[in-house]
Amino acid sequence: MRSWRRNPESGLEAELRANRPEPSRELVDRLEMRVRTHGRDRRAGSFRVAFAGALAAGVLTALASVGGLGYAATGASQAVEQAKRVVHVQTVRTLHKSAAQDQYRKPKAKCRKGTHRVKGVCKRIKKARGVRFRRPPFTG
Amino acid sequence: MFRADPLANPEPLIKRVYAYVAYRVGDGPDAEDLTSETFERALRYKKSYDSTKGEPIAWLIGIARRCIEGRPPSLELSAEHLEAADHGELEDDAVRRIEVSGAMARLETRDRELIALRYGADLTARQIAELQGAKTNAIEVALHRALGRLRTHLEDDSPPVRKSQAGR
Repeated sequence: MRSWRRNPESGLEAELRANRPEPSRELVDRLEMRVRTHGRDRRAGSFRVAFAGALAAGVLTALASVGGLGYAATGASQAVEQAKRVVHVQTVRTLHKSAAQDQYRKPKAKCRKGTHRVKGVCKRIKKARGVRFRRPPFTG
Repeated sequence: MFRADPLANPEPLIKRVYAYVAYRVGDGPDAEDLTSETFERALRYKKSYDSTKGEPIAWLIGIARRCIEGRPPSLELSAEHLEAADHGELEDDAVRRIEVSGAMARLETRDRELIALRYGADLTARQIAELQGAKTNAIEVALHRALGRLRTHLEDDSPPVRKSQAGR
């Protein structure tokens, strides 16, 4: 008689556990290897990224120590200037410098009495302080 | 942030996943293919594993279930797969295994799934309940009934086995 027939409940459960299908050793090894290799690949990938980052940081530090960064920045700004000059659309300039312009140009407005022009702007003439008007002495 | 590796110790996980899959689709190359597929998917989506939601085995069984569901229905374990087996020349353990597989094949998918989860993947009733979104009590009752039906099928299968045993 089978065990599950002697003790149906626990026997059948034990039978199911005992006769649980098992994978072949080959499959277990293959999958185990696959899982471990995958983990190693991932670690190697992250190591490569870290190495590249460290290398870039090292190069930047070395450049910075010899002023390479300033040189690179100047080069970049000059390149931008050059590009702007090439791309910029030039407008036609009209020059108004001629003899006629000099001779017949609009006269500047005169400053009012008591003012004089300072750098193109009319300003009041300041009176000298502390100097009083004195009548000249009678002479005859 | 530190993340626990769900596949840090793969061997017991491989065995449990295989046992679950084999109880669902039958022992053999199909079960091996599905187990491999499950682990391939697990490796691909390893980052999606959340240790707060459950143990790695429950996560893997979830993947295995989706792998089985994605396969053609002809791969589901059926009685025809096992009828060709000749009991005469096999060892007692192998005969028992075939008998159990034959009885499992006659079960409905839901019963087979429950037995595979409980005795193949070795999940607790609580873990099965979490996986299936049901109550633990309901799972325990369903498991009890599934075992009852499996026992009935085993009883039905017994005459040819007895004959072979009597012949030895």
